[in-house]
Amino acid sequence: MDSQNLEYINNLLEQDNEVREKIKEQVADLDKKTRTMSGVLNKIHSTPSSQLPPLLNQIKPVLASCKDTNASLANIIPANQFWRWKEMWSISLRNAVFAATLVGYLESGILLTLPQVREILGIDASWSDRYALPAEDYLHGVISLVNELSRLAVNAVTMGNFEEPIKISSFVKDIFAGFSMLNLKNDTLRRRYDSLKYDIKKIEEVVYDVSLRKLAPARSRST
Amino acid sequence: MSNATAVDLRNRGGLIAIFEEFRDELDDHNDRRERLIKQSRDITNLSKKVIFLLHRMMTDDASDTHTSTAGLEDRGDRARAFKAASRAKEKLREIQSIFANIRKELEGDRFWRYQRQVSPGLQEYIEALSFTHYLETGELISFGGVQSTLADEQGTPYFPLPLEDYVLGLSDLTGELMRYAISSIARRGGRNKANDVCAFVRNCRADFEVLTPYFKELRKKQNVTSQSLQKIEDAAYAIAVRSSEYDLSPEMLDDIVTRTVSSSFGSGGEEDSDKRKRPRDDDDGEYER
Repeated sequence: MDSQNLEYINNLLEQDNEVREKIKEQVADLDKKTRTMSGVLNKIHSTPSSQLPPLLNQIKPVLASCKDTNASLANIIPANQFWRWKEMWSISLRNAVFAATLVGYLESGILLTLPQVREILGIDASWSDRYALPAEDYLHGVISLVNELSRLAVNAVTMGNFEEPIKISSFVKDIFAGFSMLNLKNDTLRRRYDSLKYDIKKIEEVVYDVSLRKLAPARSRST
Repeated sequence: MSNATAVDLRNRGGLIAIFEEFRDELDDHNDRRERLIKQSRDITNLSKKVIFLLHRMMTDDASDTHTSTAGLEDRGDRARAFKAASRAKEKLREIQSIFANIRKELEGDRFWRYQRQVSPGLQEYIEALSFTHYLETGELISFGGVQSTLADEQGTPYFPLPLEDYVLGLSDLTGELMRYAISSIARRGGRNKANDVCAFVRNCRADFEVLTPYFKELRKKQNVTSQSLQKIEDAAYAIAVRSSEYDLSPEMLDDIVTRTVSSSFGSGGEEDSDKRKRPRDDDDGEYER
């Protein structure tokens, strides 16, 4: 290899390396934030719904601080190279989506849409060739949400909240109906989607137990 | 997904509409992915054909210059390499037009999304291109050299050439060169050629060694390159040792080798199944006889 070519290659390598290091730094930061959030969110399983608001307020500033990290990432990624690097932060970003959607559900009983999550996490749609929230990552986050809610259905009953499982059941069924419309290939999303039915089964069992013993008010079933 | 309205529990329809959009998006992505895999496979096949063509042209024409003297032989060999390279270039243009066609599919941020689908074909193409380039110039094609074959008339690249594909494509070249050296070793002027290739591959290996920390796959390929190199070195060694036993001029040695090869295997078709071993076996046969 002639020296000119070698130099060219080394330059490219150096540039890539610089980008990689900078991304790593930000991803570590994002990771720290999502870990903090999931630590706090773990307490929902032992917090009565009346005491949820202060808990959620604790998470919100952390969630908001993800905006800075995301903006930094968008600045680091060279134009058109979003897909080249995205594996580096996908998992962290999915965790952030999970935290955002869980807070959304706990606060208002709704599923936050992708654009809403994007807004909460401060991911500007105009960055799309550098930094974006792809459908795939959003959907992964939503599956994590369902996983978590199946746990919450059980623990809510333990805390004496018999309505929650019924609410969750209806919410999760709608999401499942949505997922079943997708033509998923054999990838991790597909495998995780396949596992959703176990969550649904678990929630159904809780609903069955609660209904059978007439613990929950009957009107909730219709929602 | 353009409207940021919330989907609440009483609005299943809204959620369905949103998932419909996801479905369209995912379908679009999967379809494009499939199309690119198919194109990449076509590129791989065509590239393999170019490589076979080069091997064939470099060995089949051997008898053309059978009676020439050493000097002319050398020139005949250059001519053959040029001829082979120009034929290969025609074929390579076919591949380049496939790349031109998939350019639209790979626009903007899409290239890196589908890089893994395009990569196998791209590497095979680089292997064929660099083999052609080696036969023509005796040199390793540069990064810019490869990129310039994947660009339109204005010189705008169809897509950014990934360094990884360039390096891995070149790494595969060493295997082809080994085959080329071994199959030509038993022919007129082949031993010099084998020595040239040997030195060239040795340099490649040294150059690539520096790059191994950056590319996972290169590590494995370096091992293959080392094996290839060793095969060429062993062959060169065997030739050197044995030719020293006989006080013959290189030309006479060539004649003996050629005769032996043609009597035991016929001419041509040497680079089929076990081309790695056969030429060396030929030599053994010759001297035992």
